[in-house]
Amino acid sequence: MIGLVANESMKIYSRKLTWILLLLLFAITIGSSILGTINNTNATDWRAETTQLVHQYEDRLKITELSPTLRTDAENKLKIAKYRLENDFPAPSNNPWSALLTFSGLIEMVIVFAIVIAADIVAGEYTAGTMKLLLIRPHNRAKILFSKYIAVSLFAIVMLALLAVCGYATNALFYGLGDIHTTDLFLNQQGQVVQLNVLMQGIKMYGLSLFPIMSYVTLAFAISTVLRNSALAIGISLFIMIVGNSMIEATAKMEWLKYLPFANSDMSLYIFHLPARPEMTLNFSITVLLVYIVALILLSWNVFKKRDVSI
Amino acid sequence: MNQTPVVQFQHAMKRIGKRTIVNDLSFDIQAGEVFGFLGPNGAGKTTTIRMMVGLIKISQGDILIKGHSISKDFNKAIRNVGAIVENPDLYKYLTGYQNLKHYARMVPGVTKARIEEIVGIVGLRDRIHDKVKTYSLGMRQRLGIAQALLHRPSLLILDEPTNGLDPAGIHELRNYLKRLAHEESVAVFVSSHLLSEMELMCDRVGVLQNGKLVRIQSIQDFVHDGGSSLVCVTVESSQVEQAKRLIATLKKEILPIRQPGQLLIPLNKDEIPTVNKLLMQAGIQIYSIQVQEQTLEDKFLELTEERK
Repeated sequence: MIGLVANESMKIYSRKLTWILLLLLFAITIGSSILGTINNTNATDWRAETTQLVHQYEDRLKITELSPTLRTDAENKLKIAKYRLENDFPAPSNNPWSALLTFSGLIEMVIVFAIVIAADIVAGEYTAGTMKLLLIRPHNRAKILFSKYIAVSLFAIVMLALLAVCGYATNALFYGLGDIHTTDLFLNQQGQVVQLNVLMQGIKMYGLSLFPIMSYVTLAFAISTVLRNSALAIGISLFIMIVGNSMIEATAKMEWLKYLPFANSDMSLYIFHLPARPEMTLNFSITVLLVYIVALILLSWNVFKKRDVSI
Repeated sequence: MNQTPVVQFQHAMKRIGKRTIVNDLSFDIQAGEVFGFLGPNGAGKTTTIRMMVGLIKISQGDILIKGHSISKDFNKAIRNVGAIVENPDLYKYLTGYQNLKHYARMVPGVTKARIEEIVGIVGLRDRIHDKVKTYSLGMRQRLGIAQALLHRPSLLILDEPTNGLDPAGIHELRNYLKRLAHEESVAVFVSSHLLSEMELMCDRVGVLQNGKLVRIQSIQDFVHDGGSSLVCVTVESSQVEQAKRLIATLKKEILPIRQPGQLLIPLNKDEIPTVNKLLMQAGIQIYSIQVQEQTLEDKFLELTEERK
């Protein structure tokens, strides 16, 4: 099995496309880190500034047609800002750990790139005709299929790690290495203000993002296996991802949508206490995603083991 | 020949929907023989090969390789098989060597030395570290053969193996396959439409038509089937009439003459000396006696025409 995964990894990393994606990931991560540092200025008088922020959030909450997510976001930020003033707790000075928490959006990029590779890993072998020679070896088809799945999952993890490491390194150039004991204020699941270690929150966010990443990888992989067409697999997966992001808002109004993977696929919502519906918890989202992952794997496996290979 | 055959077809059948693609194939292939699989396009050759290597399911019946069923005991059966199915489709973005390493990792016991050895055998040593996309069709074919032989299979299946090879390459491959079969006791199963090639390469041929095996016999029997072949006797043209009369006394039919001085007579091989003696004794000057060998191609066309 290790040999098979090594084979699949060799195929992934021998392709030019893979290196273009990795290079893009590298460039975009560094680029947005630099942009982040430019926009960020260290406050001279944090009290005055926080008071100003409180007014800003209060004004925003007066807007009646504010979307539920934005409203919750403003409420959360207001709560934390007020807590800071009342308890004399300034935001931590600029450090790479806090900065890493701000680019949760880049995780979406990891998802897109992982989709591109996952969509091709099975379908590509059919298109190139190499599936025939791959399947006439003394390994059952389940092993061949899962070695591909494992290889593409490892690739996604490599990209996520690269994102975190690059992001940290670039920010460290500007802010110094940062104290790993840096703490900041967050809201817990009950909506109370708590003081938590920033590094731990970062690890939690990136770690948890593996669930949505794997959901999309599995989706693209399953479409790739069932339809044997990589373009279609990329297209459908990206479409679902884009539609899915807009579904988070809709979930607030329609309860049944919470059982679809969309509203469960942004883990940063839980770090920043912005669940799509108040009753949704982190464990609920993880469970929903796992159910979809397992279902899609079973589907791929069933189709793959039975199929007559005649191209 | 009393050992178990390398391949045993047991009433193998493939149905897709209502159409029967391959119908009731039953024959054996022995170790050490080169078996040619002939048939017009669409006869079911590739479907048969795909069933042999487990790429498609057998609807009914079974195929055993070294006694293991390809459908029920896939891993044990396929371990003995090396194959190229249709085109030698390899990973174009990998080098030749990486391709071989890839397949070597999938079978236990293929060492680095074995990879080097096989690269030498197929004559790709100079280009093995180049990407496959830079290879010519002939080189891809060689690499395809290399991956098929990597794990020393007992059965080698090649679909149109001479495709894209130059005459020297074909000659080399033919000799290599023969040596592999006759010296190392590998069963070689070759499908081809290049009949002249098959004639030079195979020990036995099977003809598939509309999914059915219509003929299976040794290549000599196949070509010389029926015993009599056409004999062309060239004599001094002024003596043609005399010769005709003489041959008529043997109650032999004479076919229409194509050129002055030529006589075309269907004869069994052992009758040739008799005819020769008769003409000589009559003082007829004979310039040549030629047996017009019927080629596999003639035979094949004849066979497939009459069944249409």
